[in-house]
Amino acid sequence: MASVQFSNLAKSYGDTPIVKEINLDIDHGEFIVLLGPSGCGKSTTLRMLAGLESISGGDIYIGEELVNDLHPIERNIAMVFQSYALYPHMTVEQNIGFSLENLKVEKAERIKLVTNVAEMLELTPLLDRKPKDLSGGQRQRVAMGRAMVRSPEVFLFDEPLSNLDAKLRGQMRKEIKAMHKKVQTTVIYVTHDQVEAMTLADRIVILNEGKIEQIGTPKQIFDQPKNTFVAKFIGAPAMNIFNLSNPKIQHDFGVSMGEHNPVLLGIRPQYLYLNENEVKGVEKAAFVDVEVISSELLGASRHIKCKYQDQTLVVETASHDATVKGIVRLYFNNTQIHLFDENNNTITH
Amino acid sequence: MNSITSQSVPHKAPAKKGNFWLRKGNKIAPYFFISPFFIIFGVFGLFPLLFSLYLSFHYWEPAAGLAAMEWVGLENYIFAFQDDWFQKSIYNTGVIALKSGIPQHALAIPLAFFIHTSFTRWRNTVIGVYFIPYITSTVAISLVFTTLFSRDFGMVNQVLTSLGNFTIADMKVLSWIFPVENIDWTRPEYTKDMISFVVFWRYVGWNTVLYLSALQTIPRDLYEAAIIDGANRYQQFRYVTLPMLKPMAFFAVTLTIIGNLQLFEEPFIITGGTGGIDQAGKTAAMHMYITAFVESDFGTASAISWILFMIIAGLTWLNHKVLGGSNH
Repeated sequence: MASVQFSNLAKSYGDTPIVKEINLDIDHGEFIVLLGPSGCGKSTTLRMLAGLESISGGDIYIGEELVNDLHPIERNIAMVFQSYALYPHMTVEQNIGFSLENLKVEKAERIKLVTNVAEMLELTPLLDRKPKDLSGGQRQRVAMGRAMVRSPEVFLFDEPLSNLDAKLRGQMRKEIKAMHKKVQTTVIYVTHDQVEAMTLADRIVILNEGKIEQIGTPKQIFDQPKNTFVAKFIGAPAMNIFNLSNPKIQHDFGVSMGEHNPVLLGIRPQYLYLNENEVKGVEKAAFVDVEVISSELLGASRHIKCKYQDQTLVVETASHDATVKGIVRLYFNNTQIHLFDENNNTITH
Repeated sequence: MNSITSQSVPHKAPAKKGNFWLRKGNKIAPYFFISPFFIIFGVFGLFPLLFSLYLSFHYWEPAAGLAAMEWVGLENYIFAFQDDWFQKSIYNTGVIALKSGIPQHALAIPLAFFIHTSFTRWRNTVIGVYFIPYITSTVAISLVFTTLFSRDFGMVNQVLTSLGNFTIADMKVLSWIFPVENIDWTRPEYTKDMISFVVFWRYVGWNTVLYLSALQTIPRDLYEAAIIDGANRYQQFRYVTLPMLKPMAFFAVTLTIIGNLQLFEEPFIITGGTGGIDQAGKTAAMHMYITAFVESDFGTASAISWILFMIIAGLTWLNHKVLGGSNH
């Protein structure tokens, strides 16, 4: 178990910067999720930490040790790949024990360690099988077993659940969380799936175009986004953002153009209600009148797309609100709106 | 009843008229369109194949016409097996196949790995250079090598003897390993080596290309997983590359077995069509050719060709047992 520190970490391919001077401190045993859209540099950052990618600038520390020039095996990390990267010609037992063999661990000790890990991950009956004979979830567990058997100081996960179906993904999330609880090792987990990030992370690091946009607990990230990128990236459907140049919008949302001079306003679809009594925390709810364009049923909930001042607005309501059409009134709590300045940064109230 | 049915079903095909080939329900047209393949395959593939099988049980003097064919049962096969020259040609073929085949693959795999990992921009050019011998005329290659291995003026002898005669303080220090006098490469003990070398040189590029294409399909993740698991470069080659190359190795070795057992052009030209002194360079395919077209014994030649087919089939089966089967 060890802390990890990125200090001005940078990576560029030729003249194209991919990761731009990232600074991040990760504590012992923490579960950190690097979250961002495709091409934001999250996997590159992870690969630099693993030693699979050279670094163009800055330093990486694992514990107290500077690891910039260390071989991956010397960093004492283990990695789970998106494709699992299991050796197809080896059995489950050989896959899990391969690193121990390379580290010249004695056979008896090796068998003991592999057996322990297999028991922990319920892989014991599968030890003699080859990857081709395993299901997606079982392969995922073998990949985790391969990572766990060495008792590494840091676990790295590179989008490990992307290849699984939705149901299995939910189950594997729980298993990964349970594993982290059991082994209490530092975990750095890369994903573009915000559900994974919200459910697994102690802290989420939001990356965009090679820069850190925000670091915080899942609740902080959702409730207090630092800027419009985070506000729109986290939450589904995305936060409704309006330009405040329209005086009607300013008036409807009760925004005073004071010293902070807000330029944009945001409100989450979950915080707009069709009934006034659903609004909590205020005596009198504010409201806007909108025109319903379409409605989408998602099982337990419904997304209603509306037109408001020539802009589109989305509301998430209960699924039984099926008859909503024409002009409707949406109620909200004024304290749940977000204001952004001309640099797209959140204005704190 | 029929007339009622035909009138009451509006989708019924119209009465047959118009172009015969385009008429709906024409059952002959599809067969007509695919017939060129079957005709060509039948005439040039299937018929010679079955005829040679039929012929292998007959004694036949082709100049005397088809009526002169005489049923002899397994006599041609028995004769071929008891024939010293055939036995020798099989032995020669085996030796040349092993001496040229094993180095081909032993070199092609690491060479492909080297090209795969060390070249990016110039990769295709390098592959092209290795591939050139494969697309060059066998006659040209064989003639060039015959010149290179010439006793008095060949470059091979010049290089070897100059090394053998390399002198330091009046002592020929390398004479224990290199010859000091020209070697006569046409002597029986060298013939097979010379042919093997030409075959090896010609096909090593082909096999390199095969292995290279297989290497390019190995996912990068596997190497990265191996690096994180602490595997060094050799261990990556041994535990990732080699097992992942197995399916291609099966294919490439099968092609080598088939190609080497049918070896004809190189030994034929290098030995001037004679098989060399003491028939040391006469392969089974050459023996078959001479039996048929020089000795006009088509029955025995056909039997030899079927014996060769059995040997190739057997070796391919063996190869499948060793290298066949997929990981995936």
